[in-house]
Amino acid sequence: MKKDIKEEAIAWAFLLPALVVLTAFGLFPIVYAFYVSLHRWHIKKAGFVGFDQYVRAVGDPDFVYMCLLGAALIWLGVRLRAKLEGDGPAPSLFSRIVPFVLALPALWLVVRGLNGLLETGDRQLYNGFKVTLFYSLGTIPVQLGASMLLAYLLFKSLRGKGFFRLLFFLPYVTPVIASAVVFRIIFSPHPSSLANRFWAFCGLEQQRWLFESKSVAVLLLQACGITDYPAWVNECFPSLALVSITLYNIWVYIGYDTVILLAGLSAIPRHYYEAAEIDGANAWQVFRNITLPLVSPTLFFLSMVAVIGTFKAFNHIYIMRTPGARDSVDVVSIAIFDQIFQYQNAGYASTLAFVLFITILVLTFLQNSVLGKRVFYGE
Amino acid sequence: MESKSITKRRWLLGAVYTGLSISAVTATVPFVWMLLASFMTRGETLRRVFAPSEIQWKNYLLAWEEADFGLYFENSLLIAALQVSGTLLFSLLAAYPLARMEFRGRDIVFAVILATLMIPETVTMVPNFLTVSWLNRHSPFAWLNNWPALTVPFMGSAFSIFLLRQFLRGIPLELWDAARIDGAGHVRFLFQIVLPLCRAPLLTVGMFTFIGSWNALGWPLLVTNTPDWRPISVGLLQFVSEAGAEVHLQMAGAVIATIPVLLVYFLIQREFTEGISMSGLKG
Repeated sequence: MKKDIKEEAIAWAFLLPALVVLTAFGLFPIVYAFYVSLHRWHIKKAGFVGFDQYVRAVGDPDFVYMCLLGAALIWLGVRLRAKLEGDGPAPSLFSRIVPFVLALPALWLVVRGLNGLLETGDRQLYNGFKVTLFYSLGTIPVQLGASMLLAYLLFKSLRGKGFFRLLFFLPYVTPVIASAVVFRIIFSPHPSSLANRFWAFCGLEQQRWLFESKSVAVLLLQACGITDYPAWVNECFPSLALVSITLYNIWVYIGYDTVILLAGLSAIPRHYYEAAEIDGANAWQVFRNITLPLVSPTLFFLSMVAVIGTFKAFNHIYIMRTPGARDSVDVVSIAIFDQIFQYQNAGYASTLAFVLFITILVLTFLQNSVLGKRVFYGE
Repeated sequence: MESKSITKRRWLLGAVYTGLSISAVTATVPFVWMLLASFMTRGETLRRVFAPSEIQWKNYLLAWEEADFGLYFENSLLIAALQVSGTLLFSLLAAYPLARMEFRGRDIVFAVILATLMIPETVTMVPNFLTVSWLNRHSPFAWLNNWPALTVPFMGSAFSIFLLRQFLRGIPLELWDAARIDGAGHVRFLFQIVLPLCRAPLLTVGMFTFIGSWNALGWPLLVTNTPDWRPISVGLLQFVSEAGAEVHLQMAGAVIATIPVLLVYFLIQREFTEGISMSGLKG
């Protein structure tokens, strides 16, 4: 008994330095950010304002309740369906209809609520979320798909594995500040920029790249000679500037994803493949039924890292941000940074930061509960 | 029959290497271009040429002097050295009990540590600045405009702890039993037996910390207001926005800022890729 206590004391003593720093600069700031967000706070603390700044950021609380109610109903419907389906072998008509009846008003509530929030909330914040969404959807599937392919190729190649891995990894280890500056020049609107030279080589018109705030859909229409388009064509697609930044992000992270996936591929026991060969499975069947399920935990891990990463993204966007792109590349982190540096408004910056934090928390939780179930961890 | 399958195999390998080569070129083109442009004259960067007609070494001299890179370089190296050694020590100490000791609350502590990975820097920025300012007033040495503010907040690294824990869990239990019979305690076991085995993961964590410290931009801008302790990222960004259209000088600056990291990477790349592969494994 006495020895156990000594063991525990040693364990905590070992943990102490890291825990002190993590608590002071990792956990405490969240509590502190919340405290700051409840105050008017420029350089110094001014007055207590409660949730006023949250209303300014997110929008009318009534719409928040609406969204929450809708989300709760959807959750209830999903649970109900799972329960009803689990009960009997053949789901009855009743068990099929109830979730739908629940889902329709729930969806209406969510849509209505979100619409209200967009109208009453901070335009900059919601623009930030929209940009972040484009950014995540643009990077993650491409990044994971391409690195899966590369890892597969590397896995198959006999020689030069180390050499290719070394090259693929270069973008990841290069200081962001340097590579982002290089990309800023590669994607500059000048006719001599690398991107424009490549475009000219393909016989296409010059673009303004990082300086272009128009959406890629608009540019495509214009290239086809259509100048008359509804406003949503510009609103509902990422700008060319954001696409350029997306390309940068993919370029940086493919190497990292590839190396990790390669480790995942190498960890698959050989006898699975041998068994498949005996059964006469073709390459696609092998990939679909053995490789993919067995690397799915790795893919899942990478997608989690990537989602959190795109929501945290800041440095390279800050560097590649141009006046020409207007707010079409301003993710939430950028909006927060502007509040700190441009407006010196620590109180409101903390409010936005806290909203971002809650969003990441909810997303990670959702991703874990929805995608996490589909991941195969072996027998 | 046999020869047919060999031809098929050859074709397959050809396709594999073509795919790999295309990707390798894509990965390296920006570097090649950065290098080429850094040796050009201003005129050449504006014309559509791909290579400089004459190598302009003086770009590097100009960039180095104009941007005061000497000072920034020294700052960054110092900051990196402090941050890397602090992070390595703290993380190894924390990872050891999490991986190999039994104590109450271990799993909760580990979960909380991992949860901090989700927190964006922009969330912690304002409160940490306030904390650091408070420490600046209440501690015997300066935090702002000094190394503590730039390094200490990063020494508790969840990712490093996670990676080292993954590795430590793989060390056979017999080693500990043998050490205990010889009368060694946890401290001696960790530093005399485990430490030498941790080459790859420690180098990996060190490399990550080095990259992270080299990349830091927002935080250093906040906690320094004189060039005395400003790192190279801040210096390069300032230089780039001041240099305006002088692409050749910007690129020379980017090359200068990249060299140390790439140098370290080439030296330890085998251990690094090995260590990094561990970060994706569950356990």
